[in-house]
Amino acid sequence: MMNRDLLAKAKSLGFSDRQIAHLTGTTEDDIRSTRKKLGLVPSYRLVDTCAAEFEAYTPYYYSTYDTGDDEIKPSDTKKVMILGGGPNRIGQGIEFDYCCVHAAFALKEDGFETLMVNSNPETVSTDYDTSDKLFFEPLTLEDVLHIYEREKCWGAIAQFGGQTPLNLALALQKNGVNIIGTSPQSIEIAEDRKLFAAMLKKLNIPQPPNGLATNEAEALEAAQKLTYPVLVRPSFVLGGRAMQIVFSDAELRHYMRFAVEASPERPVLVDKFLEDATEVDVDCIADVGHFANPNEGTIVIGGMLEHIEFAGVHSGDAAMVLPPHTLSKSVIETIRTYTHAMARELKVIGLMNVQYAVKGDTVYVLEVNPRASRTVPFVSKAIGVPLAKLAAKVMAGKKLKELDFTEEIWTKYWAVKESVFPFNRFHGQDILLSPEMRSTGEVMGLDADLGIAYAKSQMAANSPLPLSGKVFISVSDAHKKQVAAVAKEYADLGFELISTSGTAKVLSDAGLKVQQIHKLAEGRPNAIDLLKNREIQLVINTPAGQSPRADEVKIRTTAVYTGTPIMTTLSGARAAALGIAALKKSGYAVKTVQEYH
Amino acid sequence: MPRRTDIHSVLIIGAGPIIIGQACEFDYSVTQACKALREEGYRIVLVNSNPATIMTDPEFADRTYIEPITPECVEKIIVREVEEMKRMGAKGKLVLLPTLGGQTALNTAMALTKRGTLEKYGVEMIGAKADAIERGEDRQIFKDLMLSIGLDVPISGTAHNLDEARAVAEKIGRLPLIIRPAYTLGGTGGGIAYNRDEFEVMAKRGIELSPVSEILVEESLLGWKEYEMEVMRDKADNCVIICSIENFDPMGVHTGDSITVAPIQTLTDKEYQIMRDASFAVIRAVGVETGGSNIQFGVSPDNGRMVIIEMNPRVSRSSALASKATGFPIAKIAAKLAVGYLLDEIKNDITRETPASFEPTIDYVVTKIPRFAFEKFPQADPTLNTQMKSVGEAMAIGRTFKESLQKCLRSLEIGRSGLGGDGKPWRIGADVYEDRGQPLPRELITQKLSSPNAERIFFIRHAMRAGFSVEEIFNLTKIDRWFLVQIKEIVDFEEELAAVKN
Repeated sequence: MMNRDLLAKAKSLGFSDRQIAHLTGTTEDDIRSTRKKLGLVPSYRLVDTCAAEFEAYTPYYYSTYDTGDDEIKPSDTKKVMILGGGPNRIGQGIEFDYCCVHAAFALKEDGFETLMVNSNPETVSTDYDTSDKLFFEPLTLEDVLHIYEREKCWGAIAQFGGQTPLNLALALQKNGVNIIGTSPQSIEIAEDRKLFAAMLKKLNIPQPPNGLATNEAEALEAAQKLTYPVLVRPSFVLGGRAMQIVFSDAELRHYMRFAVEASPERPVLVDKFLEDATEVDVDCIADVGHFANPNEGTIVIGGMLEHIEFAGVHSGDAAMVLPPHTLSKSVIETIRTYTHAMARELKVIGLMNVQYAVKGDTVYVLEVNPRASRTVPFVSKAIGVPLAKLAAKVMAGKKLKELDFTEEIWTKYWAVKESVFPFNRFHGQDILLSPEMRSTGEVMGLDADLGIAYAKSQMAANSPLPLSGKVFISVSDAHKKQVAAVAKEYADLGFELISTSGTAKVLSDAGLKVQQIHKLAEGRPNAIDLLKNREIQLVINTPAGQSPRADEVKIRTTAVYTGTPIMTTLSGARAAALGIAALKKSGYAVKTVQEYH
Repeated sequence: MPRRTDIHSVLIIGAGPIIIGQACEFDYSVTQACKALREEGYRIVLVNSNPATIMTDPEFADRTYIEPITPECVEKIIVREVEEMKRMGAKGKLVLLPTLGGQTALNTAMALTKRGTLEKYGVEMIGAKADAIERGEDRQIFKDLMLSIGLDVPISGTAHNLDEARAVAEKIGRLPLIIRPAYTLGGTGGGIAYNRDEFEVMAKRGIELSPVSEILVEESLLGWKEYEMEVMRDKADNCVIICSIENFDPMGVHTGDSITVAPIQTLTDKEYQIMRDASFAVIRAVGVETGGSNIQFGVSPDNGRMVIIEMNPRVSRSSALASKATGFPIAKIAAKLAVGYLLDEIKNDITRETPASFEPTIDYVVTKIPRFAFEKFPQADPTLNTQMKSVGEAMAIGRTFKESLQKCLRSLEIGRSGLGGDGKPWRIGADVYEDRGQPLPRELITQKLSSPNAERIFFIRHAMRAGFSVEEIFNLTKIDRWFLVQIKEIVDFEEELAAVKN
């Protein structure tokens, strides 16, 4: 056993069990049990504004190994711990903090004592008013377990704070923590490729053809079988880290060599990429796991969000419309049926998010996550029902019938979600949307008219749609067929069209009046000059293939830094035209959410 | 003084979407303000386009507009609400509280003032008046004001075109120079120019990016120590310091990208008192009537010269940190001060005994470390400068700087369990180094210490392991020796622990 003085000093210098274990050649579990045997556990002190000079009533704590003087107030109330999301990062932001705060409100209402654990000072969850007890602590196994044991909690919620608490869930459970909500076994089915495929087969739900690869050769083989393009990604990620659409062997080789570390334990997932499919995100809430017979459980879809961009844009970056605006009744019904079937099969208790891709009449399941998703706050605001709050109550034992939420709500107005990106901070970075999430935030546009809702979302994202002026259009060969129709919409709205040779020919062949300008290499003035002179009010520029030409990147980054609105997909350009038309026709009005619901 | 009875409704503007430089700290501050003012019985009208916020939950305001935060749109809201209040027969007026929703709210309120909307509809701005906001936000007016009350500021000048910029550079007489565009958020478009060419490029970009086509060209204080004070003031001119914050990273790194520590660790009490007095002088001179402000100071490590860098006449990112660091709810108190209460009339929730006019005292050390996302932007330059690039932050509390630093490092969610010694390899560019293998190459260490970057804190350890002295590291980083000595204790103890294994 390690020397007590040495261990005590290590802890007072802030060393974690994991550091100590590695340095002394043992395991984190060993260090923890050694410490406990030696009685070396942290004490909890109050953040009280007065250095303990007066009595403090707000239970806001931090741990320290400067032991003695523990200030935790004992209580006998049943305690639930809520694990927060830690520091904000791209892919894990305020949406998850929102869910954690709701969990605290909901369980307080239901008579539990709520304990919030989080390390992010920017949040509402770390306001001492939000929970009954606030622990400003790192979200690591060591720190969380101490609090759980010290407070003798009844259960912990790990499904609301994003990936951070989910990554801890299994280790916590192994150490005796009661993780409430959907069972970890069900979560495993959703996350394990083979188990997931087996479930879909059983339920007769299609998914895009796919394979696994633990090395480059296997990846190439899988891609050959599936045919390009394929979507590749590492197995466990949030926010689409290192996710990519790959179009050739050469690109795939490069990806396997430089972008990921594949191994038998951490294989790379290779999926057939469904080109031009429409993606749909669904958030639902269910209490199935509370019933011995799953058929007695209730499942309610909170919202269906149709992406505006084609499939392949990360759902955290895509613009979305609630309710779906182009899907047929039968497709919507299929999505509903699949969602219910999966929630029942997984015996979901709480929230579940599903991502679908719709191609023609076929609905494919891309991913199922039995936990709070990034879109939960958006959907809650759109439909006027606090889904996270209800879910927390369900997780702690309530049934949806008792909570009186059993019917899906289909809004009579439109809610558009648009993402906001930090490209103006990272000069030279191309702005194309991809499966890798890069947005930092989101806005909502609400209106009875879809065009106005979209236009509001663009205004709110600080990229207001122009009502007149010049549109610069330059699209890839793949989009040339469709571009004329989109360009005509702008011409009809009174915009002047500007293009370089390729697109200009297509447009004038279609009978549109277009001003042709130089490509960057052909001379000046070119698009960059016009952008800098603010002579272009809107850019429509879709990428030409997989490795974007340097020209295009320059045009896109110049648009960003001159603050010119830019659409990088034709569907985005169409939505913008719809918005401009609506604004020109009637302008917009404002309305409170209290009036909407 | 009791709360104002001539107010019926309070319009609060939120911060809009989460962007770098303006994150969910404003959800925290506005949510607190909504709660505090509802408690007082006012009708709350809220506007924010961000649905992922708690403040836009319908129960936090009487009227919640999830609408774009543009002057035009907020004007529509004002028109509608004024009518609605008439219809209700409301006794009392509509006021606008712009100081809690970050720069977005402040800029929108200023735009509404300039276009005459507030005057036209009789909407009073509370918390801070337009002229005070202008004095705090306009760099030249602010500097002149500071000089007029006997405080020191960096030598500088404003420019609206390249010729003017060159003339200012001439006056200052030496590079590097700092370029700060006026009225941009988190320093967008700003930078440090080390040579003439860079200066021209940055000056041009800064003028383009500033909504008023104006930049400030400033003497470089690179390597100076940087401090922040969170101050509150009430109508009766009572002032209190809520929290003092020291930037671990010296001047040259945006405070949002700096590791920061509260309370201040390396000033003598005398120096601290001078800074405290200066803070009160600043908030009074600027005339922020009620509420919180954040004031930034630079101190030369060579001769102790103290200059005022800037002030935010509103609740800021640092206010959220200061609130969490001390337990003192700045936004809530700011909201109550804005409707007429005095600091000594507001009870501190925590003690229920002391009033809000008691300055918080803390018996622990708080460390905040920013979280970056450069892996998502591989084409971008990862060097830290005066333009904020971090996307989030973690905070930790301990009884010593060492304890709070290591707790904070393991809170960052970057796979590290502390400063080092956790066995995880170090990935630097295309190279991978073992955690406790051979020390890293000296050239690499020198490079990573001399220009600020997200990994610099870890390179202090690498440097110590490679035999760099505290003095050498200080010369490369200008990080105060006191911090370096603390880190040295951690690094030395890592070796003691490792010796157990052998």
